[in-house]
Amino acid sequence: MNSGYSNNNDGRTIVEKIVSRACGRKVSPGDVVDALPIDKLYFNEVIAPPAISNFQDDFNQVFEEAFGNIEQGLVQKKKNQKRVFDPSRVRFIPDHTVPSCSVMVSKGISLMKDFAKEHGIMMYKEGDGIEHTLVTEEGFVLPGEVVVATDSHTDTVGAVGALGFGVGTTEAEYALALGEIYDFVVPETFLFRADGTFKNGCCAKDLILYILGKMTESGCSRKVAEYTGDAIKKMDMDGRFTICNMSVEMGARSGIVNPDRVTEDFLKEVAMRHPELFSEIQDTLTKIPKISSDENASYVDELRIDVSELTPQIALPHSPANVKPASEVNDEVNVVFIGSCTNGRYNDLLQAARILKGKRIHPDVNTIVIPASRAVYNQAMSSGLLQIFAEAGANIESSNCGPCFGKHMGVLSSGDRCVSTSNRNYRGRMGSPDAKIYLASPATAAACAIEGKVTDPTKYLPS
Amino acid sequence: MAERALFQGKIVAKFGDDINTDYIIPAYLLQEAWGKKYFAEHAFERYDPSFVSRCRANALKDSIVVAGKNFGCGSSREQAVYAIQYNDVSAVVAESFPDIFYRNCISNGFPALRVESTKDLEIGDSLLIDLQSLSVKNERSNAELRIYMTFEERATLLSGGRLGKVKERLRERLLATS
Repeated sequence: MNSGYSNNNDGRTIVEKIVSRACGRKVSPGDVVDALPIDKLYFNEVIAPPAISNFQDDFNQVFEEAFGNIEQGLVQKKKNQKRVFDPSRVRFIPDHTVPSCSVMVSKGISLMKDFAKEHGIMMYKEGDGIEHTLVTEEGFVLPGEVVVATDSHTDTVGAVGALGFGVGTTEAEYALALGEIYDFVVPETFLFRADGTFKNGCCAKDLILYILGKMTESGCSRKVAEYTGDAIKKMDMDGRFTICNMSVEMGARSGIVNPDRVTEDFLKEVAMRHPELFSEIQDTLTKIPKISSDENASYVDELRIDVSELTPQIALPHSPANVKPASEVNDEVNVVFIGSCTNGRYNDLLQAARILKGKRIHPDVNTIVIPASRAVYNQAMSSGLLQIFAEAGANIESSNCGPCFGKHMGVLSSGDRCVSTSNRNYRGRMGSPDAKIYLASPATAAACAIEGKVTDPTKYLPS
Repeated sequence: MAERALFQGKIVAKFGDDINTDYIIPAYLLQEAWGKKYFAEHAFERYDPSFVSRCRANALKDSIVVAGKNFGCGSSREQAVYAIQYNDVSAVVAESFPDIFYRNCISNGFPALRVESTKDLEIGDSLLIDLQSLSVKNERSNAELRIYMTFEERATLLSGGRLGKVKERLRERLLATS
């Protein structure tokens, strides 16, 4: 930063603006907000069941007392007093291991359905999609909002200019009752400026893997990662989702991109698909210029990247920050997973399909393709991508988190070597602790599926 | 459950940097129970398989886990806190914690204690932890470490979490808006 600005710097980041708007006063990094009101809250089927169960145990007596007092003091009580802070701002999304893979998972989903019905919360169906993909696709999460969900990859929604935080069961349970999170420390922002043009075969995933390699697993701790520069401004929404998604892998509290023309076009498409959201989105579009970071905003640190220098990257076992150029790795591969909240959207599948078109997957490689949502699945079906995957010899599954969660649809055995487009390659993440997991882009994963070893995808693309 | 302000415990595990919550409790177990105690018997089962038996063998009962930087990174699963806490572990002492895990610990009134360096702490050492003066004393070496924590975090920890405060807030809200 130019130090000449520092004495009289009133520029603010998108994070400061969003938090200030949410809590109704001007805040700066380091300030503690006693109770930060949230705009949107969503739950998956991993955490909703214990959160609902605790919500009932912890608060039922409070509800009874409060509504009891009202009954005594007022003329007539209303039936079904509202207990969830605002049902219209909550969504339930079963996505991790669906269709259900165990009796307890099914019991959890039933509890969610009953609670959603009783409280007027919208609940999606198994297979509708992965939570972070669905909430943006459906226009539930919009730019400038404070979003909380029971998953560390809630940072994904930063791609639309929302500020998303993953929380545990207890914070989500309290938020369900009160619509707030407590003792919130306003985070500093770390700026990542990516300029230049991607080489053929390189994409957003290669950029975020490269960044992770530089930053380590804790390099962005307690800070929000803001992504800017020409390469981000030219990037489609699917790429921005990938980048924001993996911010948590370097310890970031969240990741965010300032909304721009690309975001506006995305929102307009959402509005066309969901006419009921038309006026809300129209209103959001007018606010976009006001929520973006100021030119003279202060950042705690900055990393500049020239993406034209990048080649396809791969994270080696057992850390997402253990990154090398794919061309320098030659390890054998027997499982490939293309999907997840990181890389299961339409353009991700398109990159993989370009490489797999007319090819046969290596006979030793079990390849699993999972579109991130029902809408992505249906689009990939009608445009012929699913046919390309099927003819190449891949297994195509309905939308869910798949083998990334390590519970179903391709749990790894000892000795398995898997290239995955997901976000975490911790030892044991996808099954046996003796399996090896590599993280790469959909294009790289597709090339690995053909060759049965780690492969730079560039040679499969027209130059 | 109000947290004790002063307690003594024995170090049963010392880990390096970047211990993620998948290592603490693998995902395949998360949906198999809604309670908290279930996760204790599976703590570190794929990463440090003798962890649970070492905690059980600790005659002092109060166990302490020590780690380097970024303890509890990755997934937001709060079950990672329960897995440690319900093995009679009284505190985790580490050089840093990522936000989600740290907040989950505080929510449960479980002391996640940040200190400058854990390099002089060893398995078997007995530690005296004082949450009033925010210090950790190693009874073997007599060395003292300062605990870094905000006012709000300490207050929440000593109240055993935020449930009392949250219930009070909910009560006021329901009475005001109805």
